[in-house]
Amino acid sequence: MVLRHEEILQSPSVWRPRTPEEAVARKRALGADAVFAAGGTLLRTRWEAGTEAIPRHLIDLGSIEGLSGIWLQDGDLAIGALTALDDCLNDPLLGRHAPIVAQAIRTIAGWSVRNVATIGGNIVSRTGDSLPALLAADASLVWIGEDGERTEKLADWLSEPIPDRARVRLLAQVRIPLGGDDSIANAKRFFAFHKVGRREAFTPSLVTVALCGSLEPDGRLTGIRISAGGGQTVPARLKRAEELLTGRMPDPDALGEVYEQVAADYAPAPDPFAPDMYRKLTAANLVVTELWKLTAAGEAAGGKEGAPCR
Amino acid sequence: MIDPKLASAAETFTLQCVINKRPVSVDVPPAKRLLCILREDLHLTGTKRSCDIGRCGACMVLVDGKPVNSCLTMAYQCQGKNITTIEGLAADGALNRVQKCFLEEGGYQCGYCTPGMIVTVTALLNKNPEPSMAEIEEALSGNLCRCTGYGGIIRSVLKAAEQGGRRHAGRHESA
Ligand SMILES: Cc1cc2nc3c(=O)[nH]c(=O)nc-3n(C[C@H](O)[C@H](O)[C@H](O)COP(=O)(O)OP(=O)(O)OC[C@H]3O[C@@H](n4cnc5c(N)ncnc54)[C@H](O)[C@@H]3O)c2cc1C
Ligand code: FES
Ligand code: FES
Repeated sequence: MVLRHEEILQSPSVWRPRTPEEAVARKRALGADAVFAAGGTLLRTRWEAGTEAIPRHLIDLGSIEGLSGIWLQDGDLAIGALTALDDCLNDPLLGRHAPIVAQAIRTIAGWSVRNVATIGGNIVSRTGDSLPALLAADASLVWIGEDGERTEKLADWLSEPIPDRARVRLLAQVRIPLGGDDSIANAKRFFAFHKVGRREAFTPSLVTVALCGSLEPDGRLTGIRISAGGGQTVPARLKRAEELLTGRMPDPDALGEVYEQVAADYAPAPDPFAPDMYRKLTAANLVVTELWKLTAAGEAAGGKEGAPCR
Repeated sequence: MIDPKLASAAETFTLQCVINKRPVSVDVPPAKRLLCILREDLHLTGTKRSCDIGRCGACMVLVDGKPVNSCLTMAYQCQGKNITTIEGLAADGALNRVQKCFLEEGGYQCGYCTPGMIVTVTALLNKNPEPSMAEIEEALSGNLCRCTGYGGIIRSVLKAAEQGGRRHAGRHESA
C-alpha cells in the first residue's frame, strides 16, 4: 500500500518501551521532540485545537506492564496510572475504598472516551475532573524518573506554580490512604463531589467541588478536606475553609463563614462565558449545601429534595 | 527492549488486527487514526467522520467489544485488537436486533449519526440488557443527533431492550 507523503511527514514515530526506566531514558534522549502518550485522548484534543503541535515521537506508556490495575498495598489503595477510566469504575476496590473518586470519574467525558482515557492522563493534565476528588481523598503520586521512584502528595504537586519541564519522569501510580485517617470509631464519614457544566452529562466542567470529613457523635466536624477546580483551573484545597470548620458544629454561623471563605479563596481560571463571581458563588453554594445536609434540618429536608418551590 | 518495527515506525508500520471477524494486515503510519484507516485504506465507509475530537460519536466502533471513538484511536493502539464496525454488525446482510428496531421505530432521519448510535446501543445492550432510562441517556451522551430530537432513538433502544429481555425470559422458561 502506498502511503501519502504528507501522512508520513505528519505521523510521529511511536516508541513502545517495556519498562518505565526505558521510557524515561527514551524521553531524555529525544527531548522536546517526544511526548509520553497514555490513552492519547487529551493529546488528540490539543493537536486538533492547534494548542500543541503533533510531536515527532510518541512514547507509548500503554506498552509497559505493571502500570495498570487497582490493588491494596501498604495501607493504601494503589491505582496504576495507565488504568482506563472505565476500568476504574468497574473495579469494586475503588467503589469500596474511594467512592468519591469513582463518583468524579463517572462525570468525565462519556463511556467511549473513558474506555481509552487513563486516570494518569487525567491527573498529569493538572485540570482533570478526577483531581478535586483525589485531593479530598488525600491522594499521593508515585513517579518514576531518572533518580528512581519518588512519592509526593498530590496537593504539593498541584501547588507547584509551573512543573519543571526539564525534569523527565512518568506517573506510575496514584495512592489513596485507606479508611478515615483522623476520625474516631463512631464518627459518621461523609463525602460529596459535584461537577457543574453546561449540560448534565458529557460536558466540560465549569466548577467542581469535593469534600469529605467526619461528623463526630457530639456533632463536631473533624478531618475535613475541601477542594475545588473546574474548567482550566488547577484544583486546590481550600485550607482556610477547612480550618474554619474543624472541631465545629455545622451550625448556621459556621456555614455562613464557610460560604464567605470558599467564595473568597476559590480562584477559578478565567472563562469568557462564565464570570468568576458566578463560579465562586456556585462553589460556595455547593459546599455549604453539602454541610447543611449533615444538620438535623438538612436531614429532615432530605426526603423533599427536588420538590417544587412554592 | 524496544520493538524495532515500531521504533522506526514513521516509514512503515504493519497494523495487524481483526476487523469484522477477518484478519487484516495493512501498512499505515503508526499514529494514523483508526477512523481514516477504516474509511481510506479499507473502504469501510459506514463509520462516519464528523467532529474529529471524540465529541459526536459518529465514528464509534467496538474495540474488544467496548465502544471507542475511532477518531481518537491511533493505529498502534489497535495492534492485535478485535474491531467491529457497523458493517460487522449485520453479519451476512442480516440486520441485528438494534438495527431492526431503529428501522421500525424511526430511530433516524438523515442517518449520519445512525451507525455510531447503533454501535453504542449494541454495546450497551450487550453489557446491560435491561438498562434504565438514566442508563440509556448516560450511555448515549457521547452520540449526538442533529435531526431526530432523540425521541425515535429512545423508542428504538427501549424496543430492542424489550425484545432482548423477552428473548432472555423465553429462554429461561424453556430451560
Ligand atoms: C470528547 C472528550 C471529552 C473529555 N471530557 C473530559 C471531562 O469531562 N473531564 C476531564 O477531566 N477530561 C476530559 N477530557 C480530557 C481527557 O480525555 C482526560 O483528561 C483523560 O483522562 C486523559 O487521559 P489520556 O490517557 O487520554 O491522556 P493522554 O492524552 O495520553 O495524555 C495527557 C497528558 O498527560 C501526559 N501523560 C499521560 N499519562 C502520563 C503518565 N503516566 N506519566 C506522565 N505523563 C503522562 C501526556 O504526555 C499528555 O501531556 C475529554 C477528552 C475528550 C476527547
Ligand atoms: S468524529 Fe469521532 S466522535 Fe466525532
Ligand atoms: S439522524 Fe441526522 S444526525 Fe441523527
